[in-house]
Amino acid sequence: MQLQLQQLLPVYFDEAPRHTSEVWRRDLSFSKGEYVKIVAPSGSGKTSLMHFLYGLRNEYSGNIVYNNQNLRNYSAEDIAGYRKDHVSIVFQNMRLFPEQTVFENLELKRQLNPFHPVEKIAEMAQRLGIGNKLSSKSRICSYGEQQRVAIIRALMQPFDFLLLDEPFSHLDEVNSQNAMQLMLEEAKLRNAAIIFADLERIDYFPYTRLFHL
Amino acid sequence: MAVSFKPIRSLLQTGTNSGSRWFSYIGLGIGVLLLLCSIQMFINIQQLLSGESPRKQGYDYISISKTITNETMGQLDKNLFNENDIKEMAAQPFIQGVSPLVATRFQVLLSAGDIIPFSTNLFLESLDNNFLDTVPPNFTWHEGQDYIPIIFSSDFLEIYNVFAPGYGLPQLSEATVSQVVVYITCNGENGVKQTFRGSIVALSDRVNSIIVPKNFLDWANNKFGNTNDVRASRLYVRTKDANNPTFLNYLQQKNYKVNKDKTKFGRVKQVLQGIFSGLGIFGLLVVILALMLFSFYLQLMIARSKDNLQLLLQMGYSPNWLSKNVSKQFIPVYILVVLIALGLTEVTQWAFHHFAMFDRPELSSLLHWTVIITAILLIALSLITNYRMVKKLLYKLV
Repeated sequence: MQLQLQQLLPVYFDEAPRHTSEVWRRDLSFSKGEYVKIVAPSGSGKTSLMHFLYGLRNEYSGNIVYNNQNLRNYSAEDIAGYRKDHVSIVFQNMRLFPEQTVFENLELKRQLNPFHPVEKIAEMAQRLGIGNKLSSKSRICSYGEQQRVAIIRALMQPFDFLLLDEPFSHLDEVNSQNAMQLMLEEAKLRNAAIIFADLERIDYFPYTRLFHL
Repeated sequence: MAVSFKPIRSLLQTGTNSGSRWFSYIGLGIGVLLLLCSIQMFINIQQLLSGESPRKQGYDYISISKTITNETMGQLDKNLFNENDIKEMAAQPFIQGVSPLVATRFQVLLSAGDIIPFSTNLFLESLDNNFLDTVPPNFTWHEGQDYIPIIFSSDFLEIYNVFAPGYGLPQLSEATVSQVVVYITCNGENGVKQTFRGSIVALSDRVNSIIVPKNFLDWANNKFGNTNDVRASRLYVRTKDANNPTFLNYLQQKNYKVNKDKTKFGRVKQVLQGIFSGLGIFGLLVVILALMLFSFYLQLMIARSKDNLQLLLQMGYSPNWLSKNVSKQFIPVYILVVLIALGLTEVTQWAFHHFAMFDRPELSSLLHWTVIITAILLIALSLITNYRMVKKLLYKLV
């Protein structure tokens, strides 16, 4: 299982300043089991990259190839299967159902393609310190709590690649480390790769490859 | 493990605007009811008027003439049927035979001799034998024969018996009328004059005329009236069903006049079928309108739940699965609406049969199978349009 980036560049980016980037307009290949760290300042296209990789948008030139298949040629059904079985994401802006409880939010993801039994929801929530929030509507949870819900949600399904888009922006150091630990364990369980995009280097992510966007 | 739609149902915001949903349900119900009732009534009319009336050899015989208007008065060529008219009419699929009623083109004087002191100017006509209801074996003539057999309209005999006493003439029974020998004098324009003997050999209920053998009239018209031209003021038409709307339409279009009484049922049927066709089309329009209203409601619902549905798709829910399940939500309602309409149609049919038609045996209190098939088709139509609509809207969100 390989995720390849071939000469990728968002169409709304200028060609010239991108010569310094180690990702845009390059040919890259990510394999299962790798921990990829992408350091990117604001406005360098971090979220765009994550969305491209997740198949949310396709305003780019170049290609993204997953398992020898161009993402551009995926049908709507193919994309759904890709997200359900192969790639999971923690969005920067969380994207929870505001009117559903924390538990419902997690279960909606879990039931789609269950990697864990339902008991695991409470266990993980407990571990990240939101065990008492399971029956609260997600819109009344703090950003920090919502971010942890989004992280647990990403871990409910099988995946080959876990995409993280500034997953700790609302978390303190201790909670971030805790969550990172959980994600590493879960990735190991699936022998999956993590592609972690953030503003700066984070010491507790044991990356195997580092790129500057 | 199958993915459950249950937790997703609450993500679809039907919102406070359930009024439009109920309106569309009611609209759909009314439309379906109208449509089904119209179809059933259409079938009822067919069954009632399909003409089980006793007919000779299964045919109706109708006399047709051209309508004489103020404009065509005195123009023989416009008021008479020429050969082309006859050919054209014979070619129509609903007509099984045409025969012109050819009249005398010379003056005829009839007198009853010495026994009954009665004489009158009159006319003779001829018609193909197979258009006559009674043809006795002696209804023949050959050249040189001075005896002419006559088939006389029973209506004319009745009229004679009405005025006979006033003129001091004897009234005649059907049996004695054939005993009376009459003298027919033909006066040609060319001064040729000849008198024949004649007697009534049969009475006809069908043809309102005085019929003589065809070959006699052809010969006489040639001799006394100097014409061979086949021009008839009346045509006799043989048809399977005088009430056939296509037949009546054809006559109307050609501006031909026909005995209204014979085709009365046909006209009633035509009008009723028109009314119920109109009602059926109206019902269909209401169904379409209701489906459109419902699609607006669906669009509204999907627009309101857009964020939630989009997030579901982002999470990896299949758009096809979502479309199927979202549209499935409405299957029970659709089926219920159509079933209620079907039930009401059945009640209407029963009431119509029982109270308006007094349980006539031609009709049934139960619905015709086409009505039930239509109801099933309508359910299928609603479900398919619904599914396609949802699918289209959801794929836009991907």
